[in-house]
Amino acid sequence: MINRYLEKTWVQYLCLATLTALLVYYFGWVFDFGYKFDWSVLYKKDPSYGTVLGDMLISGLGKTITISLLSSGIALGLGILFGLGRLSQFKPVNWFSSAYVEFFRNTPLLIQLFFWYFALPMGLPEGVRNALFDYNYEMVAATLALGIYTSAFMAEVIRAGIQSIPKGLLEASYSSGLSPFQTLSKIVLPLAFRAIIPPLGSEFLNNMKNSSLAMVVGVSELCWASQQIESLTFKGFEATTAATIIYLSLSLIIAGILNLVNLKLQIIPKKSRTIGHTIADIVFWPVLTPLAAISTLLGCCFRRKTDGFNLTSAQAARKALLEKVTKIFTLIWKTVFIAFFLSIIVMAGIGLSRFNFQVIWDNIGTLIYWRFPNGSPNEILWGLGGLSFSILMSVIAISASFFIGLVVGVGRTSKNKLFLIPSTLYIELIRGNPLIMVIFWIYFFIPILTGAFLNVFWSATIALTVFTGAYLAEIVRSGIQNIPAGQFEAAMSTGMTYLQTMRKIILPQALKQMLPAIVGQFIAIFKDSSLAFVIGVLELTFVAQGLNNRLMIYPFEIYTTVAALYFICCYMMSIVARRLERKLSTDTFRLQM
Amino acid sequence: MKRLLTLALAASLVLAFAASAFAGATYDQVMKDKVVRAGIMTDSIPGAFYNAKKEWVGFDVDIAKAIAEKLGLKLEMVPVNNKTRIGFLQQGRIDMSLSNMTHKRSRDNSIDFSITYFFDGQKMLAPKGKYKSLKDFVGKRIATMQGTTSQLNVVNALKALGDPAPKVISFQKESECFQALQMGRVDAWSTDSTILLGYAAQVPGKFELVGKFFSNEPYGVGLPENDSKWRDTINFTLQDMWKDGTYKKIYDKWYGPNTKYYFPLTEKIELWP
Repeated sequence: MINRYLEKTWVQYLCLATLTALLVYYFGWVFDFGYKFDWSVLYKKDPSYGTVLGDMLISGLGKTITISLLSSGIALGLGILFGLGRLSQFKPVNWFSSAYVEFFRNTPLLIQLFFWYFALPMGLPEGVRNALFDYNYEMVAATLALGIYTSAFMAEVIRAGIQSIPKGLLEASYSSGLSPFQTLSKIVLPLAFRAIIPPLGSEFLNNMKNSSLAMVVGVSELCWASQQIESLTFKGFEATTAATIIYLSLSLIIAGILNLVNLKLQIIPKKSRTIGHTIADIVFWPVLTPLAAISTLLGCCFRRKTDGFNLTSAQAARKALLEKVTKIFTLIWKTVFIAFFLSIIVMAGIGLSRFNFQVIWDNIGTLIYWRFPNGSPNEILWGLGGLSFSILMSVIAISASFFIGLVVGVGRTSKNKLFLIPSTLYIELIRGNPLIMVIFWIYFFIPILTGAFLNVFWSATIALTVFTGAYLAEIVRSGIQNIPAGQFEAAMSTGMTYLQTMRKIILPQALKQMLPAIVGQFIAIFKDSSLAFVIGVLELTFVAQGLNNRLMIYPFEIYTTVAALYFICCYMMSIVARRLERKLSTDTFRLQM
Repeated sequence: MKRLLTLALAASLVLAFAASAFAGATYDQVMKDKVVRAGIMTDSIPGAFYNAKKEWVGFDVDIAKAIAEKLGLKLEMVPVNNKTRIGFLQQGRIDMSLSNMTHKRSRDNSIDFSITYFFDGQKMLAPKGKYKSLKDFVGKRIATMQGTTSQLNVVNALKALGDPAPKVISFQKESECFQALQMGRVDAWSTDSTILLGYAAQVPGKFELVGKFFSNEPYGVGLPENDSKWRDTINFTLQDMWKDGTYKKIYDKWYGPNTKYYFPLTEKIELWP
């Protein structure tokens, strides 16, 4: 009876509207927040400090946008370079690119930021350092760190995109007489480009959100501004809300642009074009028209030279000479690269040999398990902290968020608005914000809602769970949508209910496909646990900072050890992910008779 | 239908419980439990920090211990930082906060403060012999710590000395400010002088405090808003500690002439007759 009503769209909307109204009523009038809201801190001149604090948010937004744009450019450039480098036949280039990608992907951005800002200048000669410092080194270091971090992810996207081109296409293009360069420019790149654009776009989005971490090296960007207002007035709720709204709108704008790019790239028959396609055409017209004009012009001016089969002796000699010169150049550049490669290894070796290993040895225990098991009784888990704390946090977060992801992901694929709209809202709201914001939110909200206070450890773990849940939900959704619709129809027609179909047919298959992505998410969350340091959770980064605080003169040793610890854990997980991927990939499936 | 009803009932019960479970008079609560929970920093040398044995020590730690002892209570120390100390007070996670909190009117809107229990002011820490007075810092780069009042103080002080756009960089932690100073990223680091003393003592002979105090930083114990009975208790205890010499003993232990962080005690805490 109820079910039949619930299938009607208007009933679903009505239910949602009632629910919203109830929530608004409850939290607007009935619920006692135990907190005095005072939104005027954002726009009124503060008497203690003599400034309008909201202005900080505006200038912070400007910095966030600048960093995001510049670092995106760096990331794209380096990403293409190292993505192609990983496909190179020349082994040293290949090794170098792989090492670059693996290292930067598997250490937290936070640690990298500390390294670029605090450690790197110490390794430079005094003159260079002072020249660097004459510029705005905070911005330079933050932009560079973000660009390099994102480039490692982009390189992977680009590599995977190029490798996803079926071999048959290559064979076909070679056999039709195209040169390797022509094959690359005419066949491989245009096809790969279409496959690469959507994941590349989400990397741009991540890059923008990650820019919030620039605050740790003193860049006064958006997140920094909201923190500053909070600490000056203790009105954290208002400042965080304002920053969240700005981040969300930024995310939405970027997502909108990416959507338009996707529409622009779609190849579809004219009659199925929608209004979105037209908008995309209009938006990209000013960019694409000049490009098209230039390429037509170039096509007119430079005719391609065609090699005849009958060369005159002069032509043949020139061709032979050119080939020789090319060969010499290749050799030179290969030697230069190997020299560079070796010098980096030697430099790293020298740097390491100067380390004070006693300091590392003395404090490695502190970094891994902190005071465990000698903590005081009111400490959580007998004084555990450091690396084991980070691992514990991510294990809890991933196990709990798996269920959130499953439920919300299934809800996201449902046709019923009652499930669809809340799921979508949850996913978009969380994914539109930097994790650091989610951490602040949970930290503010849980105590207000429940009336009970939480240890910061649990607060951060809940934030990680909520955050990961949204990402897992998207993985689950794409997993479900990858299952052919025919299976669903077949299951339904045998008389199974929706839930039975999901549980017995769709999810088991989808989960298997999703496993590598889930492991990837696990790596991400392990690295992200480093952000919990902002609310004072005793995880690895926090312990490292505390140590650094006390020892003071060994930042290189401590941050290298921390980076190594993170790297070892993440790299082991990514090996597992790769094994899984290989095991589960359909290519190795062989039908046996 | 029945299931839906039960769900709705359960949900409303949970929410009702959540709403009522909030707050309560701190004094009664503390005296009933015989436990006082103090929020204390973990990375402020010599205010409160982990020493090499990973023990939690410092001036604030000892003051908190003395307060608890005077009141006959058990002390529970809760680690806080400049992001969490206020939230914890407002949520009732801690009953008092001894964490380098400068008393400001803007901040008094959200929580209450005890009388001043520590007198500090802001100074500049710079490489030895390079600068003479505050004027020399016009146009120079200064590090400060975010979440403290130091930043605006520096900006205002430099502006008053004729610096049109002071170059102030703020970091998340004190250690980061000190590192920036050490590597020459900034020309000076400015915050409350006792913190600066603590760091300068780590590399003797390299850095010095320059110029006069340019701000007044009265530290108060952060207390829950609108709880006068509890506030009075803390105020009286602090005054008693001053009178019977406990305060002086603790002060000398951390800031006395025989310590690395020597900082003469020039003021008196407010004593009510």
